[in-house]
Amino acid sequence: MPEDILVRADSIARTFGSGSGAVTAVREASFTLDAGDGVALVGPSGSGKSTLVHLIANLDRPTAGTLEWPALGAPSRLRPGPIAVAFQGLSLLPPLTVLENVALAATLVGADRDLAQASAHDLLDACMLDGLGDKLPEELSGGQAQRAAIARAFCGKPRLLLADEPTGQQDRATADHVMDAMLALAAIGDVTLVIATHDERIAERLPWRWVMRDGRLQTEVPPCSA
Amino acid sequence: MFGVIWLGGIIRRRTGRVLGEIAGVGVAVLLLAALGAFFTASRASMTTQAIGSVPVDWQVQLAPDASLAKTVAVIDATPGVRSTRAVSFADTGGFSATVGGTVRTTGPGKVVAIPQDYAATFPGQVRYLVGAHDGVLLAQQTAANLGATVGTRVTVDRPGQPKTTLVVDGIVDLPTADSFFQQVGTAGTTATAPPDNVMIVSTTTWAHLFPPQASGGTERQIHVGLSHDLPGDPGAAFASVVGAANHLEATLAGAGTVGDNLAARLDAARGDAVYAQMLFLFLGLPGVIIAALLAGVIASSGGERRRREQALLRVRGAAPGRITRIAAAEAMLVGVLGTLVGLAGAAIVGRLAFGTSGFGATGPQASAWVVVSIIFGLGLALATIALPAWRDARSMTVRGAQSPAFGRVALSGPRPVWSRLYLDVICLGAGGLIYWQAVRSGYAVVLAPEGIPTISVSYFTLLAPLLFWIGAALLTWRIASAALRHGRRVLATATRPLAHRLSDVVAAAMSRQRRSLARGAVLMGLTASFALSVAIFNTTYAAQAKVDARLTNGADVSVTTTATAGLPAGIATTVQRLPGVVAAEPMQHRFAYVGNDLQDLYGIDPATIGRATSMSDAFFAGGDASATLAALASAPNGVLVSEETVHDFQLQVGDTVNLRLQSATDHAYRSIPFTYVGVAREFPTAPHDSFLVANADYVAARTGTPAAQVLLVKTDGSPVTVAESIRSGLAPGSGAVVHDIVTERKVTLSALTAIDLAGLTKLELSFALLLAAAASGLVLALGLAERRRTFAIAWALGARPSQLGAFVWSEAAFVALTGTLLGGLAGWGIAQVIVKILTGVFDPPPEHLSIPWAYLAGLLLATTIAILAAGGGMLRATRRPSMTIMRDL
Repeated sequence: MPEDILVRADSIARTFGSGSGAVTAVREASFTLDAGDGVALVGPSGSGKSTLVHLIANLDRPTAGTLEWPALGAPSRLRPGPIAVAFQGLSLLPPLTVLENVALAATLVGADRDLAQASAHDLLDACMLDGLGDKLPEELSGGQAQRAAIARAFCGKPRLLLADEPTGQQDRATADHVMDAMLALAAIGDVTLVIATHDERIAERLPWRWVMRDGRLQTEVPPCSA
Repeated sequence: MFGVIWLGGIIRRRTGRVLGEIAGVGVAVLLLAALGAFFTASRASMTTQAIGSVPVDWQVQLAPDASLAKTVAVIDATPGVRSTRAVSFADTGGFSATVGGTVRTTGPGKVVAIPQDYAATFPGQVRYLVGAHDGVLLAQQTAANLGATVGTRVTVDRPGQPKTTLVVDGIVDLPTADSFFQQVGTAGTTATAPPDNVMIVSTTTWAHLFPPQASGGTERQIHVGLSHDLPGDPGAAFASVVGAANHLEATLAGAGTVGDNLAARLDAARGDAVYAQMLFLFLGLPGVIIAALLAGVIASSGGERRRREQALLRVRGAAPGRITRIAAAEAMLVGVLGTLVGLAGAAIVGRLAFGTSGFGATGPQASAWVVVSIIFGLGLALATIALPAWRDARSMTVRGAQSPAFGRVALSGPRPVWSRLYLDVICLGAGGLIYWQAVRSGYAVVLAPEGIPTISVSYFTLLAPLLFWIGAALLTWRIASAALRHGRRVLATATRPLAHRLSDVVAAAMSRQRRSLARGAVLMGLTASFALSVAIFNTTYAAQAKVDARLTNGADVSVTTTATAGLPAGIATTVQRLPGVVAAEPMQHRFAYVGNDLQDLYGIDPATIGRATSMSDAFFAGGDASATLAALASAPNGVLVSEETVHDFQLQVGDTVNLRLQSATDHAYRSIPFTYVGVAREFPTAPHDSFLVANADYVAARTGTPAAQVLLVKTDGSPVTVAESIRSGLAPGSGAVVHDIVTERKVTLSALTAIDLAGLTKLELSFALLLAAAASGLVLALGLAERRRTFAIAWALGARPSQLGAFVWSEAAFVALTGTLLGGLAGWGIAQVIVKILTGVFDPPPEHLSIPWAYLAGLLLATTIAILAAGGGMLRATRRPSMTIMRDL
């Protein structure tokens, strides 16, 4: 059913540069992502995971192939709204407090100030950041900043959340907690998760595993066979 | 070796940053060096002007027993001497002539003997008006006193000899009579009032009139023309001329004393050079400081990236010393190239604006300017690039450098030291105290004892505007920071039309970025205050220089005569019809005795005089020209007198003042009653001390002649052209002299106002425009560029262009409005202070500041365009951020 297909890719590729210096990060990737799927995107460093996440989030455009979002709407209306991204690097806005950063996602989709802040408070609690709402990003540790970015991604109530190494800077226990929170929030909000990760334990907690090697995507690999 | 590799990498990979830094240093050096060119040009023009207006360079007074031939031979052999002519002077008890059956007699005077080619040798000394160019020539005033003309027999009273009678061959004018008749003695040269009555005769006639055996009361001089191949700097030229004069006196060994007219003029020009220096301080240095600050802003825009690169080097094991040396190498590269670009640019600008591409009037001066510019350029590059790098390298640890947040500018931090010390308030207070003290003590930059302007510069007083400027900049920082810190609600409300639902977020972001925004507002404020104060000062200066010139010349063009009969009848009507003439207004110029004091009296029509010349409020006590002239018009026998006269005679308005004026019928002075109606401080063509202004009709009725001696002409075209037209229409021998404001300003006005500010104005105003546009556009663009990553994140979160625009335009509006408003206020205030301190330069002082609206509109337009370009450029960039930034997220 088209309304269940969030993303459909047909032989998409992304090449950077041209001529002899050209680098192809994603090669002829074809897949379908349905609502409710939970995907762990795994692969070695430099295999093209982040580029694929950017393409799915419409942060970047493929240089070849077709990419569609049948159930999410027109490409220009994917963010803010149906798609949210939690980046692996420092992605909080420096001049805003943690609470303002998280609430911003809700404000961008049209929520009023009070509702956005209430929602942000709940999400900060869920991500173990209670009491840090008034801090500036520069005052947070790398792990705290990453959790705040996850809270922000959920605050916009997306249908598809793409997270790039969301637990890369967390210790093992915290990473487990973050993953628990993400799965719980996704279940409550009916959010489809795509998580790019190196962490086998994280990957194991998602129903689907997509493997990237040298830019080539091997999709719909059941967790047990990866 | 590693430094070279690193430098090569910087040039190849960070080309934009390096070029920006070179441009920043280049502009600052350009401005400094261009000011050097202004110095050169202004000093050289002072020298040229001083030299050009001296008809006779030296007047060598011969000792009574000295041999004329031997002395001339010695002088001719002196290096630099171009021409020599002998001139003799004799005292006379007076001249008399019988005209129309009436015998007229003058007071004591002088008979002068000059060779036939004297006027050609020293152009400007003698102006032939009527009749022959040799023989017996009467000075214009003497001819007027005697009623003599060509062919009149004039009797000369020779002391110790019988009177003799000569026939007048021509009438002449002696434009430089003051220096021509100066007393040259052992105590130097003394300017004295020239004799009222003068007759010029040939050397042959002189020999008959004053034979050697009866030479009592005679003097001999040798007038000398020098080669004017002198150094451009007035000080150097003065030293050169004085040295030559001293050498000649030593060689003459008592046979002659040099009256050094050339050195006297150069000495005055030397003083004026101090004035140019002062203008440099007022008008130039702030621009250089702003350019240096902008260079710092450009360099700091690459600071974050540089810190990251240094962090990388530190992690790889580079010691802080090596990191500093690498930054110093980059600074030297930027400094050398920036200085070269600046010096080349200054040479071009100097050639275009001042007509010189040199940086000094003399070789050493030029070298000094170049060296100063090089030191400044290198110092600026080291201060803006190497110094921050050294500071970072000292505080950087390997562990800290590995932190992902390393290199980012912290948003929060302690208040700056100056803020805690209230340096802004201290600067403004100190400036105010200095200003108050200067105004209270009546400090005048130009003193004019006996009408000779002298400069008295108190550099301490000049601190006032500088302190105001610094204080205003720091206060702008404090106000902007406070507004951003405490005014979030107001900001949110103000940004709501742009940001809608995001207004709270925008206000919060702006509040926390107050350091960066306040810095932008300060730079804009500094630039705005600099541009505004320079523009207002220059416009006021230009306007007042014109008023000054018009006051001295009377009007755009003036026609004057000393003849009792006055100007030719109907001249006003004739001139009025000439093309380019707006109005022509006749004015009587008579002399009247106030008690025993002979004063100039001007007969005017109070209702129409303002059509032909400016009637400034400053001309009259009470500061209301219209009211004073109306009071004069309403009292037919009214008279305006000087404050000195009011004081001397204890006058009250309405008192009768009896003046003695010469009657046209019998030339006798008769008492005429006038009513004192007001005080005149200045008046067109009037002397600075005492004079009188009355109704022309009343003066005409009581003296028996309506003759006007002055015609004031207002033009709407070239005064020079109109003057030429009037001159060509005058009959030969009319005795009328035509002066135009343009020529007179160059020749007769104070050298202070004669300094040509046009080039400096062009340079300053162009730079102010450039700096204002650069400060607003660049500061905003660089500030936004520092936050490229922030905007990229906002875009990735899904912020729409309009929402990103809300951030960009709100910041731009805050920086632009705060900077322009506070800077504008500061600029206006500083212009007031500068004009007030320099009031003495203007005569009369300006009634109000002249605002260059067209320039200010251009300034506003350039600033707005720069801001729109910077904001628009950033918005375009944020619509799809570069993959470099995105991959970093």
